[in-house]
Amino acid sequence: MNETDDMVITVKDLSIGYGERVILEKINFQVKRGEVFVILGESGCGKSTLMKTMIGLNPPQSGEVWIEGGNLVTAEGDERLRLLRKFGVMYQSGALFGSMTVLENVRLPLDEFTDLPEPLKELVSLAKLKLVGLGGAANKMPSELSGGMQKRAAIARAMVMDPGILFLDEPSAGLDPITSAGIDLLVSGLARQFGITFVIVSHELASIYAVADRVIMVDCSARGIIAEGKPAELRDGAVDPWVHRFFNREADASHSIQPA
Amino acid sequence: MPLTECEAEVKLGPDGLARVVLRGRLSARTVVDCWNYLEQRLRAERVKTLEVDVSGVDFCGGAGFALLRYLNLGKMTPGAKVSVTGLAAGFQRIFEGFTAKDYDTFHPRPQKQSHPLVEEAGSATRRLIGDLRDQVDFLGGVAANLPPALIYPKRMRWPEVRHVFELAGANAVPIVSLVSLLLGFIIAFESAQRLAEFGAQIYVANTITVVMVREMGPLMTAILLAGRSASAFAAEIGTMKVNEELNALETLGLSPIRFLVVPRIVAGVLVAPLLTCYSVLMGVVGGALVMLGLGFSLKLILHQMASSVHLNDVAAGIEKGVVFGVIVSGVGCWRGLQTEQGPSAVGLSTTRAVVTSLLLIIVADACFSTISFFLKS
Repeated sequence: MNETDDMVITVKDLSIGYGERVILEKINFQVKRGEVFVILGESGCGKSTLMKTMIGLNPPQSGEVWIEGGNLVTAEGDERLRLLRKFGVMYQSGALFGSMTVLENVRLPLDEFTDLPEPLKELVSLAKLKLVGLGGAANKMPSELSGGMQKRAAIARAMVMDPGILFLDEPSAGLDPITSAGIDLLVSGLARQFGITFVIVSHELASIYAVADRVIMVDCSARGIIAEGKPAELRDGAVDPWVHRFFNREADASHSIQPA
Repeated sequence: MPLTECEAEVKLGPDGLARVVLRGRLSARTVVDCWNYLEQRLRAERVKTLEVDVSGVDFCGGAGFALLRYLNLGKMTPGAKVSVTGLAAGFQRIFEGFTAKDYDTFHPRPQKQSHPLVEEAGSATRRLIGDLRDQVDFLGGVAANLPPALIYPKRMRWPEVRHVFELAGANAVPIVSLVSLLLGFIIAFESAQRLAEFGAQIYVANTITVVMVREMGPLMTAILLAGRSASAFAAEIGTMKVNEELNALETLGLSPIRFLVVPRIVAGVLVAPLLTCYSVLMGVVGGALVMLGLGFSLKLILHQMASSVHLNDVAAGIEKGVVFGVIVSGVGCWRGLQTEQGPSAVGLSTTRAVVTSLLLIIVADACFSTISFFLKS
């Protein structure tokens, strides 16, 4: 296996934005098979937009997104569907379908895309739910679950078709540290045990140190990637003052309230 | 049985022994064929001991594990002792991640769903009473919040009133124009046919004016408002409730009734009579156009029209407009506030808002007709 085979996602000269406004310009990066890759950045700097572009929801202004050897930006029809099956996505709010039970949510892709017999569909979905620690919630409605449980159910739904890549949008946003650490454990467990590649959008420092193999940091004013590397290296060796502040959780001086 | 990517083989031995050998890739696609083959071979036999050998499996996905677990649970070979052997170490760990015990614990059991008549009737009554209580609550809230806003105009959110006025009123002008004009056409043509039999076609002008002023103008306007605005109010307030914006208002010390409902009711009360007058005008214009086509002179038509209605007829039409305006905006807001949680809740409130306002409009209209009949006689 040579080096290019090992790259499951390649982002090439990608520019994204809304209308006239360019948020990120000509960015390039690659994600290796089996690694936990985290996209960092200030709120409102296009992290989520970048992820939406990578999963084909947002057309980019220019550039290419290659996933497992297919360009998602130009793919259409069956080819696009084939590429979409390569990954699963967990949205920030979980995005479970409120009118279905948790089990029905998880088994929906199996119902739509496979000819598996009923008992097997149920077994697969139950096994995925057990994996995320929600075996007992199979028959509940999403509204009966807490935020963390909804996110875990969403991860179960994202991985029910055994995709090689999982995209997670802010998996620990709005969760208590214990639940959030639980999701971190789940992520590193899945990465190790199943060799799943993770692309995570986050700004939760603790969780980044716990799970990330490699991070990139996007920035508004630079309109691009300002740092790339292992989180611990960036914390100790970052030259850019902003990156340094981010990894050491220091406030910008302009945010402090001066005593009268 | 040759398979492209997954091979399954069943060997039957003495004493009900069966040996299943699986080879290749067990993915969601290939497992289907294996399943069919195994179902066909194993179901027919009385298997006492089943040995599943998977040492030849080089990939096993979620569906593959499900198949193995299904065999392991003895579902295909009821009563048999089943063993699964030869899984690679990594796969074995995953396989053990979901055990037979897990299946028993988590397997959703079908729930008994029977609702005897008494239970149904009881819960329906409870819902009805709850709905009534809600209505009283809402009316009380409006009664408490509306007068202060009228007495102290500074407390009213006039920009909101103007905004709603524009959305519900000005933006409804095209549809009201079209519907009323065509309504005038229809009434004129229909009555012209009948009245021609008596040589009384000139009275089409009287018919159209009385019908539009007293009945169809207010009613059509109210129906259009219910469809356009009651639904919009319910959807808007309902979405705010789902997004916890109403809770935010409460904790900021702002009553949702004062903040959202009162401006809408005020705008509704102002807009409905105006639209009613406009609708009457358009209806009458429609009728007049038909009469011109029938060969009557404009002067004659106008004279007939003016002589057929009195000021109290016009007042009755406008009164209806006011009442219908209150009904449409009140019901829209009320149903919006009643919205529950979940994605279908807003849709449900919207439907309820339109249905309830149409119902109340017709009931109110019937009351008006009855009262005016007895007042005159």
